[in-house]
Amino acid sequence: MRKSDFLKKMHDSLEISSVENLTEETILKQLGEYNSMFLLTIIAFVDENFEMQISTEQLLSVTTIRSLMDLIGYEKFED
Amino acid sequence: MKSKIKDISVYFPSNKLDNNSLYNEFPNFEPDKIENKIGIRNRYIVSEDETALDLAINASNNVLENFDRNKIDFLILCTQSPEYYLPTTACVLQDKLGLSTSTGAFDFNLGCSGYIYGLALSKSLISSGIAENILLVMSETYSKHINAKDFANRSIFGDGAAATIIEKSDEEHIFEFVLGTDGKGMNNLIIPNGGMRKRYEQNAEIKSDESGNERTENDLYMNGPEIFNFTIKSIPALVKNTLEKNNVKFEDVDYFIFHQANKYILDYLRKKIKIPEEKFYSNMLETGNTVSATIPIALKDCMDNEIIKVGDRVMLCGFGVGYSWGATIIKI
Repeated sequence: MRKSDFLKKMHDSLEISSVENLTEETILKQLGEYNSMFLLTIIAFVDENFEMQISTEQLLSVTTIRSLMDLIGYEKFED
Repeated sequence: MKSKIKDISVYFPSNKLDNNSLYNEFPNFEPDKIENKIGIRNRYIVSEDETALDLAINASNNVLENFDRNKIDFLILCTQSPEYYLPTTACVLQDKLGLSTSTGAFDFNLGCSGYIYGLALSKSLISSGIAENILLVMSETYSKHINAKDFANRSIFGDGAAATIIEKSDEEHIFEFVLGTDGKGMNNLIIPNGGMRKRYEQNAEIKSDESGNERTENDLYMNGPEIFNFTIKSIPALVKNTLEKNNVKFEDVDYFIFHQANKYILDYLRKKIKIPEEKFYSNMLETGNTVSATIPIALKDCMDNEIIKVGDRVMLCGFGVGYSWGATIIKI
């Protein structure tokens, strides 16, 4: 998946309205939507698009979207 | 001896907690967003002096309006909000309902998988000849376990009860079960204090989570994301295994009723398992998540509104606290 597509898809799927766009530097915990339901939607998004599961513990350690992409496997993303 | 579900009745307390009331207490959370995301607009909440036993009495009396209560020979109550540690709440319920003293009765402590286990127990009692007419009651009051400042859990859970009569039958209507347990999930939906391991703490420390929900160890705690991980890992396999055990093809199941946890989880599971929308029940709008009562409440709604009809094969699937899970196929 292209990085730009991932960021757009994540923005749309997670119904983020607090910021217009997501970047790799966006800090998840600073988003207005951040709560336990939001974490659930991230788990669903990663499961649906990458067929992998992320634990809550792993998610809580995520800071930027780049760190989420590292968790997924940064090599899976194209420029 | 074979068994069938004869009738189901439900009962809800009269207090209603709607999203606007929650918004008045928690102005950061908008009512429309709650409804859109988790599919819940209202929940019924017991009053201070109302218990799961009271709900069970009412639901049972409702279902016994059209059934001779003297014929009931077994009473099973599923609750995680018992009247007392002892005596068994089902014993108290037997007396309140005026059932025969020849009735067997016990409680069991399960949550969202409770109805499936209750049906399994009932089928077993009937097929072994121990009972012929069973009153199976699910009754839950999670509101009593949730901290007043825990918006997340207050928005999800509602109180309610459902009473089912299961009777012996010439033809089998309750088929094979697949059940499962994983206690590694124990800490993801738990009330830490109040049992024998850690007693109730008078001045328990109030802690806030990352969203500002407050609770102490005397209160219910739920790790929603981990529960979600559990369901997406376990439930597709549960459905597949239940089909195999019953020798039924996926496309021959007429309807699926899952435990009504919240709309988001249900929608995700439905798509993952590829269940057509028209074959899948998703409705907790007016009741919230009533734990062990969600499946019989849904069944009754489906039967009353002719969403399912006599002869339909329906898969029932319960999963949650424990972790505990189970599924079966019934014929209406």
